[in-house]
Amino acid sequence: MTETGAFEKVLTRYQTIPGYRGTLPEYEAHGGYQALHTVLGKMAPAEVVDAVKRSGLRGRGGAGFPCGMKWGFIPKDSGKPVYLVVNGDESEPGTFKDRMLIEEEPHQILEGVILSSYAIGCHLAFLYCRGEFVRGAQVLQRTIAEAYDKGYLGRNILGSGFDLDVIQHRGAGAYICGEETGLLESLEGKRGQPRPKPPFPAVSGLYRCPTVVNNVETLSNIPHILLRGPEWFTAIGPPKSTGPRLFSVSGHVARPGNYELPMSVTLRQLIFEHAGGIPGGRALKAVIPGGSSSPVLTPAHLDVTMDFDSLAAVGSMGGSGAVVVMDETTCMVRVGEIVSRFYHHESCGQCTQCREGTAWLHKVLRRIENGQGRKEDLDLLLDMCDNMKGKTICVLSDAAAMPIESYLKHFRDEFERHIRDRACPFAGAAGVRKH
Amino acid sequence: MPKLTINGIEVTTAGPATILEAAKSAGIEIPHYCYHPGLSIVGQCRMCQVEVEKMPKLVTACNTSAADGMVVTTNSPKVEKARRAVLEFYLLNHPLDCPICDRGGECPLQDYTMKYGPGESRSVEPKVQRAKHVVLGPHVIFDQERCILCTRCIRFCREVPKTGELGVFARGDRSEINLFPGQMLDNAYSGNVIDICPVGALTSRQYRFQSRPWDLIRHTHSVCPLCSAGCNVVLDVRDKQSGNELLRINPRENMAVNRWWMCDEGRFTFRYHHDPDRLMLPLVKSGDQQHTSAPEAVLDSVASALAHILAAQGASSIGCIVSSRHTNEELFLVRRFFRDLLQTPHVDHRVRPVQMQASDAPEDAILRRTDKTANSHGARDLDVLPGPDGLDTAGMIEAARAGRLKALFVFDEDLAQERPDLPVADALRGLDLVVVTSLFRHATAALAHAVFPGLGFAEKEGSFTNYQGRIQKIHRALEPAGACRPVAEILGGLAGRLGKPLGVVTPEQIWTEIAAQPGPYHGIDWQMIGPEGIIPSEVRKEP
Amino acid sequence: MIAEETRHRFDALVARYPEKRSAMIPILHAVQAEVGYLSPAAVEWIAQYLDLMPADVMSVASFYDMLHLEPVGKHLIYACQNLTCTLLGAEPLIRHIETRLGIRAGETTPDGKITLKRMECLAACGDGPAMQVDGEYHGRMTLEKLDRILETLQHD
Repeated sequence: MTETGAFEKVLTRYQTIPGYRGTLPEYEAHGGYQALHTVLGKMAPAEVVDAVKRSGLRGRGGAGFPCGMKWGFIPKDSGKPVYLVVNGDESEPGTFKDRMLIEEEPHQILEGVILSSYAIGCHLAFLYCRGEFVRGAQVLQRTIAEAYDKGYLGRNILGSGFDLDVIQHRGAGAYICGEETGLLESLEGKRGQPRPKPPFPAVSGLYRCPTVVNNVETLSNIPHILLRGPEWFTAIGPPKSTGPRLFSVSGHVARPGNYELPMSVTLRQLIFEHAGGIPGGRALKAVIPGGSSSPVLTPAHLDVTMDFDSLAAVGSMGGSGAVVVMDETTCMVRVGEIVSRFYHHESCGQCTQCREGTAWLHKVLRRIENGQGRKEDLDLLLDMCDNMKGKTICVLSDAAAMPIESYLKHFRDEFERHIRDRACPFAGAAGVRKH
Repeated sequence: MPKLTINGIEVTTAGPATILEAAKSAGIEIPHYCYHPGLSIVGQCRMCQVEVEKMPKLVTACNTSAADGMVVTTNSPKVEKARRAVLEFYLLNHPLDCPICDRGGECPLQDYTMKYGPGESRSVEPKVQRAKHVVLGPHVIFDQERCILCTRCIRFCREVPKTGELGVFARGDRSEINLFPGQMLDNAYSGNVIDICPVGALTSRQYRFQSRPWDLIRHTHSVCPLCSAGCNVVLDVRDKQSGNELLRINPRENMAVNRWWMCDEGRFTFRYHHDPDRLMLPLVKSGDQQHTSAPEAVLDSVASALAHILAAQGASSIGCIVSSRHTNEELFLVRRFFRDLLQTPHVDHRVRPVQMQASDAPEDAILRRTDKTANSHGARDLDVLPGPDGLDTAGMIEAARAGRLKALFVFDEDLAQERPDLPVADALRGLDLVVVTSLFRHATAALAHAVFPGLGFAEKEGSFTNYQGRIQKIHRALEPAGACRPVAEILGGLAGRLGKPLGVVTPEQIWTEIAAQPGPYHGIDWQMIGPEGIIPSEVRKEP
Repeated sequence: MIAEETRHRFDALVARYPEKRSAMIPILHAVQAEVGYLSPAAVEWIAQYLDLMPADVMSVASFYDMLHLEPVGKHLIYACQNLTCTLLGAEPLIRHIETRLGIRAGETTPDGKITLKRMECLAACGDGPAMQVDGEYHGRMTLEKLDRILETLQHD
């Protein structure tokens, strides 16, 4: 086993407890809510913010923004209520770790919510749970009720004088609600259309009040940081990508699943040691390292470590931690068609470039896959991507363009072959088939 | 007061402003679709992106504040590429049916495409087909294929009349603007969505296929006559074989009056100018019948009847009710003729109670007012009111029925219709002389001994004073129809025949006399009344 | 159309949020569950309840994949068609459902029993190909498992 293989699990420690169901007594029995007892009324909120800042915790939703810094943007004495909103709208293709945390270790999230609310002065927090997570929503509802019964929520929590209410809010099926301002719009009962920024949510978020939006996994780390100290946290993984991270590994691997590891793990270790390698003795062709929005990597990149900065250095991103593995039978044009179909379906439609661009990208890629491609389509796709990037209210447009650019960068010959042969050379192969 | 540089030009804004507003103030065009000064800012069309020094990405000019020291470029290669891309994206599924589109020739999509867009399409994908010519309401028709989803129409309905009939349904490229099933776009201001639509998606059912923009020979500035708000308008006239025709009324921006808007009633009520039932020649009564006659002959007979009554019964047997739909200049002449020349005190403009200053009220929170005449304020300012011992409208009707009044002039009011509470018909039947001006042969006109065909507001030159006391000019867009003559000519003809010439003819000459005499308009030169009108008290306050 | 009891539930729901409109999506979910889908009448009811225009409510409802503006079947199959599931063979499975039920994705069987919808990532990639049937996850789908599920639904 490698160094990372011996890693002591933090967020998924519960998996080592037989029969664990994530109820309040079970959570408490393995150390749950100890951080709450340690912090509430004993640490000043500013000290909590400081500890999280020192931990170097970066957001696990996709952007990797430093959590403590985000909290620090909340203006002091704005005279308005401050809100914490939990982003449980996990929908980045390839990602399935937040759903697991919601269904299996919900009190860890809630303890993180209470501690974070205490830190930023929030007295009403919202748990935005993806609409499709029917069971997750039931679990969260039960979890919140248990916490109220136990006095972890409500008035004067643990005698600290701190009050907090939590409302669970279900989404209804829209990827864009994972974008933090799209989520806030949705929470306000509107279409989930992202807002122009500035103003940022920290200044004007939910109900135009200062708001922090944090991802489920990000918040799950908070109790551990406060209980074990920021130094413990920074000792895990590379200096700028601290703490454990859940990697959702899927696709052509023997053991797909969520792997909790330090971000010093290499892509090779993740695929071949943890996820058991590629079945059937087939060769690796491509890997999406951080959800479908992230540019694709090739076998040449296998030794990259899975931290935010190293992935950026090889032209991709850590994103949501979703690793999609594709073997040699995979048609990259078809992958492009599927990925672009997704963004086409999910664009909210408010910005011109994204509304029209996601659709056009999808149509051209579908045409190439179907053997109707033209030579000029490849440069057209690249120019289209350029026209879509960096020009819209949110980054869905960029997220649609970046992967396609990367497929063309690394697999241009495959696109050219589709055009030359007027057919998909992979038709009938085991991988991504045409229908 | 931010001081910034746009395309190398130093711009200082008058107050806090966005980059787009700052550029506009300096005469620099930043193309845009979703932004409209009268609506909330959404920043969605992405057409107004500009380059700002030290900012990594292009920024939308509509929602980025101008700041001191900012260096903005609106014409860099990066900006031009981004704009070209937005236009290319818009045109992917646009039907490009400009030759049959009402907006063609005055279409921001067409104009910006010519100016900033790509020369040809790179798309070979089939165009998405959507609903065509969907009737949204009494005035507006919708072509979904032309829509670029700027959402101006939606925001207008939500934010101005606050009726919210329209919404975006579905998402992404399936998004479409529509009504909730069973609803209609029938708010009192619905026509404004036609003006603010930057493409040919929302067009006017009335104006549709009536003209091309370049066929419109005149765009005459005027003021809507249908209530006391005095909304500023433009009258669009086309030259047809059958003669000049008024085809369209659009609002004209005046931030002190109507901002960018006008109500549907004002916008769509003008076809009466071309109504075949309109009176084109004077009518004279002989026996129980009215028959048409030449204007000069009618003036002769009215003048001689009037002279006879004056001599036999005196001036106080003559009354005059004049509509406050008339211009200040017309009202001034009416007052001069009756009060000064004939010397009767019985003159009034008040036919409806709402014409009293205290009664005229907002009809909604937007523009419309309850006084449905344009110039009650002017009529009051010019003292078109009963003189000492003079009778008001009801008093004149009562005096006519009692036989104390012998002659009554009614300028453009259908008294029988407007005042069902008064015995108008009885009263008028008993008079020796009833003279009416009117566009149509209405119940009151039918009782007259002489009827002069009146003018519509599009045929007049002059001024109205709106409820605020703002004097605003109206200009002639159409030559008077048939033998219809301005009030000045009718009164001038009578005065001349009575040996007391009025002396003035043109509105400007009349105004000069108004300004020369004491009163609210004293000292207000005709030239001072600019395109946005003038409130005399505000001018006088200035040193 | 909406039971008095449900209305009381909404009153309590609305009271929890700082702004009334925030209760929109929970109410849309609840009304859909009660009526079966968000009919124009249902949308109008919600608009009236939340003091909004029907077009506004419809605009929101039409934004979200899980809210149905047209009637749907008694049972709802959400079949993931995103990348991982397709890599693992989702397409033949979806086509199998279509063939067996005699409908295309997006349609409902003529008996009104089953609606099939193609969905984007259901966050179950670790168990792909994945589907959701009436809100319940079914992973590592095979033709045999699928047939058993369809059998149960068809005979329900």
